[in-house]
Amino acid sequence: MNWEALVFTLFSPVIGGFIYGLERVVRARMQGRVGPPVLQPFYDFLKLMDKRSIVIHSFHAFMGIMYLVGTWFSLYVLLSGGDLLIAIFFHVLSLAFLVVGGFSVRSPYSILGAMRELLHMVAYEPLYVLTAAGLYLVTGTFQISEILNSNEVPLFVLPLVFVSILLSLPTLLKKSPFDIAEAHQEIIGGPEIEYSGKFYEAVYTAKWIEYVYVFFLIFLFGGGNHLLGAFLVLFAFFFFNLLDNVTARVNFRQMVAFHWYVLIPLVVINLMLLALWRG
Amino acid sequence: MEKVIYSLFLLPWLLALLVFVSPFHRLRQLITFLSFPILTYLSFKVWNLKLPLFITPPEWVNLAVTLFDYGLLLYFLYQGIKFRNFLVSVLAAAQLFLLSWVLLIIPHGETPPIYVDGLTTFMYFIVATVGSLICIYATKYMEQEDLDRENRFVAALLWFLGVMNFAVSVNNVEWFFALFETTTLASYVLIRFRWDSVSISNALQALWMNQIGGIAILLALLFGIKYYSVYSFTDILKVNPAVTSMIPLGFLAIAALVKGAQMPFHRWLLGAMVAPTPVSAILHSATMVKIAPYLILRLSPVIKGTLLAKLLIVTTGFVFVSAGLLALTQDNFKKILAYSTISLLGLMMLTASMGSPTAVLASLLLILFHAVVKALLFMEAGVIEKLFKAKYIEEIRRLVEKAPITVVFISIGFMSMTIVPYGIFMAKWLTLEEASNFLSHGAYVGSIIFIATGSVILTLLYFKVIGVMTRKRGEFMRFKLEKLPFIYLSTAGLLALFTIVGSIFIAHLSADFVNAVVASISSSPAPVKASGLTLITPLSEVYGWQIIGAFILLLIVPIFAYFVHFPEVDRVYEYTCGERVETTLGTYNFFCVSQVEPLIETAAVALFIITLVLGGGLI
Repeated sequence: MNWEALVFTLFSPVIGGFIYGLERVVRARMQGRVGPPVLQPFYDFLKLMDKRSIVIHSFHAFMGIMYLVGTWFSLYVLLSGGDLLIAIFFHVLSLAFLVVGGFSVRSPYSILGAMRELLHMVAYEPLYVLTAAGLYLVTGTFQISEILNSNEVPLFVLPLVFVSILLSLPTLLKKSPFDIAEAHQEIIGGPEIEYSGKFYEAVYTAKWIEYVYVFFLIFLFGGGNHLLGAFLVLFAFFFFNLLDNVTARVNFRQMVAFHWYVLIPLVVINLMLLALWRG
Repeated sequence: MEKVIYSLFLLPWLLALLVFVSPFHRLRQLITFLSFPILTYLSFKVWNLKLPLFITPPEWVNLAVTLFDYGLLLYFLYQGIKFRNFLVSVLAAAQLFLLSWVLLIIPHGETPPIYVDGLTTFMYFIVATVGSLICIYATKYMEQEDLDRENRFVAALLWFLGVMNFAVSVNNVEWFFALFETTTLASYVLIRFRWDSVSISNALQALWMNQIGGIAILLALLFGIKYYSVYSFTDILKVNPAVTSMIPLGFLAIAALVKGAQMPFHRWLLGAMVAPTPVSAILHSATMVKIAPYLILRLSPVIKGTLLAKLLIVTTGFVFVSAGLLALTQDNFKKILAYSTISLLGLMMLTASMGSPTAVLASLLLILFHAVVKALLFMEAGVIEKLFKAKYIEEIRRLVEKAPITVVFISIGFMSMTIVPYGIFMAKWLTLEEASNFLSHGAYVGSIIFIATGSVILTLLYFKVIGVMTRKRGEFMRFKLEKLPFIYLSTAGLLALFTIVGSIFIAHLSADFVNAVVASISSSPAPVKASGLTLITPLSEVYGWQIIGAFILLLIVPIFAYFVHFPEVDRVYEYTCGERVETTLGTYNFFCVSQVEPLIETAAVALFIITLVLGGGLI
């Protein structure tokens, strides 16, 4: 049992909520607004817990809770220092609950959103698998704990991979320009729409945990140099907020095409050149 | 010990005969049921023998096989003429000519024509368990369809099992040709079983496509005799392809691609769905298409690392992705399953062509789990067709309200093909980590891209179907399971149980059981170890708690979700922006993909030709 990881995982909703609060402030300042207090997500949390819960049916509501549990578990898999590929695929597992929940109600928005959620996965999943292969190429291991202790700094040899991951962050976190699964103005939040009260709170918290998940992946690019890793996380945070502010939503074909035809080739070029260079 | 091997070939034929002549339905069911324990016991006995085993049958068998060959090809020719199918008759005539040529120049060798090793036994196990379960299932299925012709149908299926057992144990390529064509005959007979015009035309299509595979084997045989004067698998493995010609190996690989329904020769497997569902089940899982990865695995030690292997990786990887893409556009449940078989066969051959012990292990795990899961899924396809009268995914909408058990089985089947921690996922994971060692080779980088995109597309496909099934209108008011006939429930239940137990104990399954097979194919076993439920590879490990955790989340929770009720909570209808409109909710049909289908097929043809011409060294 990895106690450090367990404690970190247990507190991850707090960290994630804090990141989300910061994000709202940063985004507001970029738009010249003051923005809400940093602790606003937690105020929201308290408010939602207090609300009257209404559900479509129990199965749907239960899937929302399981989405939280699944995400939490997949975060622990990532943080406990095991295999990186396995951790990436566990993320799909947690997504399955959100998708099945979204499909289980007869709401057009929810079903469309669930379908688009799967398309998000189609876009980013191959990229992350290739990234794991790249990290293996640099550090010689798939074990996350060993990647974090290696002498190599993956960022310096995998710059194009880092750029691609940076550009696909909005896809993973459902931010503009790749927020098609939520698309508030279009399908009103997608799979989230039919949740309310405590059950919405579960889905909401799961998204905070995803922040921690994603930023930990970024942190891996620092390798053994944890200071650099922390800097990268900060940079990524500001970068994707900026991107979120200045771009408009694309449609799903453009999103998949951008990932498959631009980002994946970038990663492949980086990996092949590096592998050839090292002989 | 030779008797054990012979009885594995002959007992299914004997049982088939008994089923054919027995007049009562119950008696036929009993005889069919016997095949399961008998074949499993015999396979187990072979497993405990000292392998590999060479057997030289009496001389007259050789003559009998040759005569059988001629008889078979003449029958194909007759079918071609009878149904006025140009391709079937021309290809049969061409094979007659090539076969005669082979017989003229074939030297007299001392290599025994029957060779039983770990791989053969592995296939015996799959045929004995999955194959017999499908036969048992078929007795019930035919009872609901057409009791008068049940005896023929089940007899044909049982006979097929014997043929398959024989096909995976021959060493002499000429015999292999005979058995290869016999499986073609079996599929032809089974596909046209309903005798309507669609069945006949699809059966003829299967016939001519598979005959191309036969021609490829004969050409391989001709060139093998010409260049190395060998005609046995064990002798081919001894030649050094670096100094001699790759032509025979190239043709054998082509035969595998055709048998494995790889694009552009995938239509025969899609056409097979017109037959009764057990036919699809047996073609897709235990027999027929599994000859393709079997053949590549046989050749893998010698083609490993050659240009042929790399081109095979690219070709089959392309099929893995594009068959998955095309499956997205389908709305027929059986067609979706067929496309996903084509796709996963591509993956099996991809891993087999990589040829390193870990990749071979992955390939064997894929063969095993795919056989079990596809049999399960086709059985369930038969159930929803017979009991719920649904063939299209639009018709299985809200199936979870009517048939929770069926939905659970189908979901287990679907999830086991994509998601952590099921066996097929583990095989993909092993392959990905193995391929990461060779990132300077384009083919291996390609294989990572293909595996990653292909699996994610299959995930999209399966969740699309699961989403349609699990949609429901409201609360489960009272808990009601559907009534399934006992045979349907028990056969599918056994397969689902194996999928789950096999995946939980994947570490021991691969390190103790499958690795012995790997050692008999490659020179050394794969470097994987088991410690408890944890699977340890040289690069990393999958922990037992991860596997258990994923199972609790994936399996226990959805079933538990059935019983969860939040009583104190208010119920509402779905949000529709305040409008009251009647909506019909479908699902995505991925029209954008069907537009590029011609492009995909053109690319597949090109890759096929490149594999043959460049990989086989025809230039």
